[in-house]
Amino acid sequence: MKCKILHETTGRLRVHLCCGQMSLSQADVLEYYLRAQDGVQAVKVYDRTQDAVVLYDAERGSIIRALAAFSFAKAEAMELVPEHTSRALNREFEDKLAVAVMRRCGSKLFLPAPITTALAVIRSIKYIREGLSALWHGRLSVAVLDATAVTVSMVRGDFATAGSVMFMLHLGEILEEWTHKKSVADLASAMSLRVDNVWQQVNGTEVLTKITDVKPGDRIVIRTGGMIPLDGRVVEGEAMVNQSSLTGESMPVVKHPGSPVYAGTVAEEGECVISVEKVSGSGRYDRVVRMIEESEKLKSTAEDKASRMADRLVPYTLGGTVLTYLLTRNVTKMLAVLMVDFSCALKLAIPVAVLSAMRESSGYHISVKGGRFLEAVAKADTIVFDKTGTLTYATPTVAAVIPFGEHDEAEMLRLAACLEEHYPHSMANAVVEEAKRRALTHEEYHSQVQYVVAHGISSMVEDKKVIIGSAHFVFEDEGCRIPEGEQAKFDALPAAYSHLYLCKDGELAAVICIHDPLRREAREAVRALHESGFTNVVMMTGDNRRTAESVAAEVGVDAVYAEVLPEDKAAFIRGEKEKGHTVIMVGDGVNDSPALSEADAGIAISTGAAIAREIADITVASEDLFALVTLRRLSQALMERIHGSYRFIVGFNLTLIALGVAGILPPTTSALLHNGSTLGISLRNMTDLLDDEENTRK
Amino acid sequence: MKKIGLFAAGVLFGTAGIKLLGSRDARKAYAQTTAAALRAKESVMTAVTAVREGAEDVYADAKAINERRAEAEAAAVVEDASAEESKAE
Repeated sequence: MKCKILHETTGRLRVHLCCGQMSLSQADVLEYYLRAQDGVQAVKVYDRTQDAVVLYDAERGSIIRALAAFSFAKAEAMELVPEHTSRALNREFEDKLAVAVMRRCGSKLFLPAPITTALAVIRSIKYIREGLSALWHGRLSVAVLDATAVTVSMVRGDFATAGSVMFMLHLGEILEEWTHKKSVADLASAMSLRVDNVWQQVNGTEVLTKITDVKPGDRIVIRTGGMIPLDGRVVEGEAMVNQSSLTGESMPVVKHPGSPVYAGTVAEEGECVISVEKVSGSGRYDRVVRMIEESEKLKSTAEDKASRMADRLVPYTLGGTVLTYLLTRNVTKMLAVLMVDFSCALKLAIPVAVLSAMRESSGYHISVKGGRFLEAVAKADTIVFDKTGTLTYATPTVAAVIPFGEHDEAEMLRLAACLEEHYPHSMANAVVEEAKRRALTHEEYHSQVQYVVAHGISSMVEDKKVIIGSAHFVFEDEGCRIPEGEQAKFDALPAAYSHLYLCKDGELAAVICIHDPLRREAREAVRALHESGFTNVVMMTGDNRRTAESVAAEVGVDAVYAEVLPEDKAAFIRGEKEKGHTVIMVGDGVNDSPALSEADAGIAISTGAAIAREIADITVASEDLFALVTLRRLSQALMERIHGSYRFIVGFNLTLIALGVAGILPPTTSALLHNGSTLGISLRNMTDLLDDEENTRK
Repeated sequence: MKKIGLFAAGVLFGTAGIKLLGSRDARKAYAQTTAAALRAKESVMTAVTAVREGAEDVYADAKAINERRAEAEAAAVVEDASAEESKAE
């Protein structure tokens, strides 16, 4: 497209696109097209002026070529734009704000006093009604103060002040709604992007299918820990389904054949086949929005404290007003107190700060389900890692398959893969991948598979019981034996690997050695976590002790617990909490779920199982452990900001009251200063907490 | 006399005036006025956007200036090379 460069410095271009008009959706197309170019760091598109700002670190010519090659039709066909963007939302609220400000200026400049008076009276009805309704319900809330301030000014005939007060309140409402909607929308679009796979049942076998390819009437298989991806009806099997994302009820519900199941709910136990009734589409985004709005009720205590404090201050403000009048018999001084109700500042500025922090964290691919959890992260002194998939890469690999007895190596791997492919666990994935790499295909020849959480899998093959899992499960629970004469071979198994034991008919058939390499940044990240104030970094794993300890030493954690069961993890966290610690749990799998929900803030690494994501309070979609450090810094900065705002609001407004009572400031000035400062601090609280530059890792 | 005049005006407004305000021509005028107001709003918003873009340009320029200054300052420093020389010896 023909463009004109309007401004240029190193690494930054502002161009005008010669396309006449630009619609909101076209602006999105351009923005995402440019973002997809190599070397482009940030893009901002102004649809009103048809201008685009590009920040890049590539060669200038390539950016120019990309711009020249751009056309709306071609770029739209590339489907780069996500389903929902916040451009329309921003436009709506920018317009609302602009209209409010322009109307205010217009009426101040052009409308004669009687008309502005009439308008003020009409607009005041809303506030007075809200105030009265609060009183009627026996609450002395901020609405009462707003109503009193407006009424008193009007009774005194000071309609200009009444007008300014209402204008400020209106602006505050718009800003609050905007930040709120925007952070919810940002969060939801970040969360609804993921495309999941499902197990589809075709002619009795299971095939991994993309969720977008599933049609109504298809049968899909759901197992323990899996999220039900689509609405449907159970046709086979039985499962306990947690529907809390829909109903808020945390007790799981039993689903029999014939029961309806809903997208977004999670099978806690059991397995079933469902017949799909509605395919995925726009429903997902709306569902995520609903889920976030639901979880927003989990306000942070700081936020809650602020709003309760705000309401608690109301009687004092009213009392102070009356007292001032009784002492001075001066309506002006009385109003000075009334005008400066700092409760509304607290109620606006602090939630805005929290929502904005949640929005900012979603920019780092961290979704936080409630302000409460940010507070917990800021306060925490203990962080517990489940090793696999968090400290190590989520994709472990098979290092060796050691057959026992008379068994064939390839045959055993094939059998293991056949069993393991149904379960959402990183170790299981490793086995399946290795079988695929060695081109070992298989028909599903086993019967019903049973999954024992955190232990292993058992099934029947050719009338013989086959089990695969941990040493504890295989040798102690199931009583399997090591074939005679092979004890020495068993003892010589390499300790550097995690082991999976495969048994056939009560006898060890093979040991699969799994190499689970540490993340490159694990050591650095743990050190950074220590620096950021965690005194106790704990690693937990179901692995054998030797492997666990060698990993722990390498990463530099403070404590390590090996061979633990899911209940143990939860119990440990409960114990630490009882000792007065604030505990964060980081995990990724089915077997972490109890621990995740027990912790003050449960963080799921999103490559893990659906149930972990569902139960977790915070989801990290980034493949980098430093996201945790970022999260910590962000939440600490947020708490600092909240406390700072709090001190500022109370201090500033107390000064205003004192000056007002002393007669130094007239009520209109103090109202202006008060509302201005409220607006100012709210706007400041909407800005990012962390510096981008500071945060890009060396 | 004045009261009667006011009363008459009121009656006139209540009958003919209301009709006039709701007539098709009047509605056209309202639509035109509203359209003009909306256009005015759009042009104000466009102007605001242009100002914003300009301000961002200025900010980018300012950052570039500071970067150049820092580079110039860094270039003016002669690095301590005594260690290297002693190593060479």
